[in-house]
Amino acid sequence: MATTLAKKTVVIVGGGLTAALVARQLTAKGTDVLVLERGHDRRNGPESTLPNQRDELRWDIHGGLGQDWAVETYTVRHAVKDEALPARRLGAFLPGTGLGGAASHWNGFTWRWSEYDPVLRTRFESRYGKQAIPADLLIQDWGVTYAEMEPHHHLFEKLYGISGKAGNINGVIQAGGNPFEAPRRDDYPQPPLEPTEAGLIFKAACEKLGHKPFIAPSGNSSGAYTNPDGMRLAPCQYCGHCEKFICEAQAKATPETLLYPVLMERPNFEIRLRCHVVGIDYDRQGKRATGVRYVDLVTGEEYEQPADVVALCAFTMTNTRLLLMTGIGEPYDPATGAGVVGRNFCYQTNAAANVFVKDRWINPFLASGSTGVTIDEFNNDNFDHAGLGFLGGAGISANLTNGRPIGNRRVPPGTAQWGTQWKQANAEWYAHSFALQAQGTSYPHRENYLSLDPTWRDAYGQPLLRLTFDWRDNDVKMSEYCSQKINEIAKAMDATVVAPATARKSPFDTRIYQSTHTTGGTPMGADPKTSVVSQHLQHWDAENLFVVGASVFPHNAGYNPTGVLAALALRLGDDLTGYVERPRRL
Amino acid sequence: MSDQNGTDRTRPHAGASAEGPARRDVLKRIAAVAGTAPLAPALIAASAPTQAAAQPAAPAPAATPPESGYQSLGPDEAAFVEALVNVMCPADHLSPSGVDCGLAVFIDRQLAGGFGQGERLYMQGPWRKGKPQLGYQLPLTPEQFFKAGIAAANAGCKARHGKPFFALAPADADAFLKEIAAGKVTDPRVPLGLWFNELVYPLFTQACFADPIYGGNRDKVFWRMVGYPGLPATHRNDMVQFRGKPFPGAKDPKSIADFS
Repeated sequence: MATTLAKKTVVIVGGGLTAALVARQLTAKGTDVLVLERGHDRRNGPESTLPNQRDELRWDIHGGLGQDWAVETYTVRHAVKDEALPARRLGAFLPGTGLGGAASHWNGFTWRWSEYDPVLRTRFESRYGKQAIPADLLIQDWGVTYAEMEPHHHLFEKLYGISGKAGNINGVIQAGGNPFEAPRRDDYPQPPLEPTEAGLIFKAACEKLGHKPFIAPSGNSSGAYTNPDGMRLAPCQYCGHCEKFICEAQAKATPETLLYPVLMERPNFEIRLRCHVVGIDYDRQGKRATGVRYVDLVTGEEYEQPADVVALCAFTMTNTRLLLMTGIGEPYDPATGAGVVGRNFCYQTNAAANVFVKDRWINPFLASGSTGVTIDEFNNDNFDHAGLGFLGGAGISANLTNGRPIGNRRVPPGTAQWGTQWKQANAEWYAHSFALQAQGTSYPHRENYLSLDPTWRDAYGQPLLRLTFDWRDNDVKMSEYCSQKINEIAKAMDATVVAPATARKSPFDTRIYQSTHTTGGTPMGADPKTSVVSQHLQHWDAENLFVVGASVFPHNAGYNPTGVLAALALRLGDDLTGYVERPRRL
Repeated sequence: MSDQNGTDRTRPHAGASAEGPARRDVLKRIAAVAGTAPLAPALIAASAPTQAAAQPAAPAPAATPPESGYQSLGPDEAAFVEALVNVMCPADHLSPSGVDCGLAVFIDRQLAGGFGQGERLYMQGPWRKGKPQLGYQLPLTPEQFFKAGIAAANAGCKARHGKPFFALAPADADAFLKEIAAGKVTDPRVPLGLWFNELVYPLFTQACFADPIYGGNRDKVFWRMVGYPGLPATHRNDMVQFRGKPFPGAKDPKSIADFS
């Protein structure tokens, strides 16, 4: 029997980035907030201290910081007609667990997306005509504009001390920045990071081709920084242990470094760690969430936590799964297109080339998580797609993030897989090679969606979430185009050897890491027929239930998601402050 | 962003030239021990393969490796793994043999530890076959799968060569591994291609390049070979000073033990 606890004003599911930002806004205005997080506080553990922080096998190869697949994984299939199987050790992406969530072991790329991203359907139809979007792509407007998001981006970048160079200040293009950037009110809080040798080679090749390379905006701190809450970042050490690792130098902007310490000082904030939420209590008649149920993972006891407001701030997959398990909102049906929960699931369409330059010292171990030099010429709708037969694109970059030797050695094509020749090739090329990457759009497809698996269950006896996902025609064509662009740049580098990029092709491979940017499942929008939550992230079927995170993105751009989901979370925090005072449909 | 694309995690393929591995096989060692030391009768009784017993005792190795003794592997299994790592990492101008680099010890410790026992691996049934892209789908822990693979590979080896893998000449052993990697050695129950490419090969590269606290990469030999400087990796000044230049620390790598 679950024990019922004293009611809270706002209960938040998940103790990652969006939860901290929502709680920051709410608690500052006097609202009490409880956060439930399944993992623990790792700030003083071997994860975050030298020397064990630098253990590639433990934290990277064995995924020591991520979701424990033995407890909960996902099932995957490529098409509705297939049977899904559980990914028994998922390699493709890394949901977090623990204080800070996946945002504690991110690389730091912090983008504002294109100004037109929240109105993408309108953009495509006005630029290419009403028929431009194929019927099987569920591209839709978000119900919010970039201008409405800008103040929240601004605040987030100040809180996180983002390092970068503005490309567009109030509509005026800035030399050295990204000329395709959405207009910002001022420059980044800190100057950009130091580029790597690989970045400089990439920059020279891009300039030769007439592109406009820039240093990507980053949550790795380029200097010493104090944020508006008085929290400090130390300068990045370029240690090459960033993504999949917790920064021991307090130089990576994360929730547990910058946000939770402030919240934990506030008397109206509480976080309960090792508490795993198993469901939302839903009053079907009254169309209200009444609280959540959770298991205390220390004692094994089950609790009922009543609340006036419930906010889902977990990872993309968990937000969707909780709604499906609780039966709030109609599940999406790909056969009819009816229903909404689980739709617009997107990922990221990447490709890469390997470049070997004999006479240049790349030194891949001298790198931060996001020391990238990038071009945006072929990203999103930054170029004319008329006659190309696809929509979308990719940011192309030389993002050398690390030289960790188990996973990040490159040998030329044709090298033996073991033996003396293999050793020789590693010795010759480790310090003289790098990759060029395309991080591409993923547009919602009718058949890519999330649902509950009918067969497999997690350690708590609840159904696993099922992904139906593959690279569809638009993704493959986009990837072919961007792979060609990568290869043109590689050619302009005078490299000794190039292993050219090839397009992403079906079937989606669950074994290989590509990015943790899964999005959608609970899309936001102005129309309840095609969205789970409103423009204000308020659930259409429960006025006091809110959802935030990449799960509310109706599509994924050729950018990392953090900047946008953080801006949405700060906006939600402000909206909720008003809602708590006067509950209503926002 | 994706930083794992295109790195050295591709499937094994043909093309390596076979180097002569300096193999030290465990059965010979046990035979040697059996003749001199009555300290491990249970071990000897348990293994005592007649074939090994019949062989003349090899001289004991001149220098005992710092880590010796296995936690997971039995004598036959250890013989297989030692032969394997010595073929995949022959003693040459770049490194000592795989055994002397600690690669067999690394694999043994991984199998005996959390990884081998199925930590972080979803192990609930039902168990069904699927596309390779959906990943591992067998009801075996990695340790169990590793050992089932050894038995199946040895059976395949005996069918082709009339002897177990550890007894092959180095060039034959190398060619046999390539055939396994290419999916050309089949077993009715154990998928040997998958076994090699998704379990054995990753363990081999981890053994070479993981921090030496795990038993492989002895004396940081692989880090020195490629020029990975290891710890502490506080490169704020190096980032600018050594951008585009040889990094001095790459010649003398430091590992976790050096800071513990």
